[in-house]
Amino acid sequence: MQSKKREIPTGMGKLPAIAPLANPYVPFQMDNPEQYEANLGLVRGTLYPGLDLPFQGMVNKKPLPQSPTSELQALGFAVQELALYLDTHRDDAEALELYRRYQQLLHDKRMEYVRKHGPLSHRDQTAAPEYEWLNDPWPWEYSGNQEV
Amino acid sequence: MFSYEKKLQYPVKIKNPNPNLAKIILTQYGGPDGELGASLRYLSQRYSMPFDELKGLLTDIGTEELGHLEMIGAIVHQLTRNLKGNQMKDPAFAPYFVDHTVGVYPASAAGTPWSAATMQVKGDPITDLVENMAAEQKARTTYDNILRISDDPDVNDVIKFLREREVVHFQRFGEAVQLLRDKLNQKNVYYMNPAVDI
Repeated sequence: MQSKKREIPTGMGKLPAIAPLANPYVPFQMDNPEQYEANLGLVRGTLYPGLDLPFQGMVNKKPLPQSPTSELQALGFAVQELALYLDTHRDDAEALELYRRYQQLLHDKRMEYVRKHGPLSHRDQTAAPEYEWLNDPWPWEYSGNQEV
Repeated sequence: MFSYEKKLQYPVKIKNPNPNLAKIILTQYGGPDGELGASLRYLSQRYSMPFDELKGLLTDIGTEELGHLEMIGAIVHQLTRNLKGNQMKDPAFAPYFVDHTVGVYPASAAGTPWSAATMQVKGDPITDLVENMAAEQKARTTYDNILRISDDPDVNDVIKFLREREVVHFQRFGEAVQLLRDKLNQKNVYYMNPAVDI
């Protein structure tokens, strides 16, 4: 879901033309900024190349290990990142559309996950005869993050 | 209300136990610039925050920080799995071990228990948002310092992710100040406190 080339470099933004004194200024990120796709966004910690500012060039390059939750994590991350963007850019229609597309993908992937692996929250209904909620592993455990 | 989602925001999978490093990372659980303080700061500031964008942003970032708290807890937990006797006796870890065994307790790297005195809810929107910009920078520097100290790639992948989130959150809080300023007296944004006076 790469947006079209923009005239303004991704690391640049808008400041007010006349800025009152004695106030901190962070430039506004431009509307509909260029994005990474969701998996790369999760690896890098941001969906936006313009905000991807690593320490001493230390960058996560490895694709994430394929665990049952990895696709959910990538899509959930894209939704979260777009939500924070929309909180301060509520009128950006293109970002809103992208947010909704990722919401739909997340919704579908989540249903599939719950069917295969059990509930992610108490709201998820499953067909299993037993109370699946308690089943190990829990998210903080090593085995909960293993590749499959 | 809050409800639990049984997954981490970003995977944490650490092969090698390292109690020494666990004590360093623990500072982002319960230290002065850690994730517990971040989430409580933002979620508590919401009540006196005017304007829907600002209420939403504090809710969304504060909730994400709770997910980061869980990730830091997972790192500390996995770094203290399957410890051998000599690892428990490591002079850097033994004082923690004697009080908390391998439980995850909110304290700084130097052992000071988490305190609300490390954060502020001032009840003035500009003041609180500027506090949050500073908080994100302090957390970013802590993650920079962890990256200088740690040579475990399994840990550093997660730390790089969390560090980048601080950069993004700083940007959003900075934009929030500008959204707020647009709604205030353009000649003097300090004319009154919108949490009390409008």
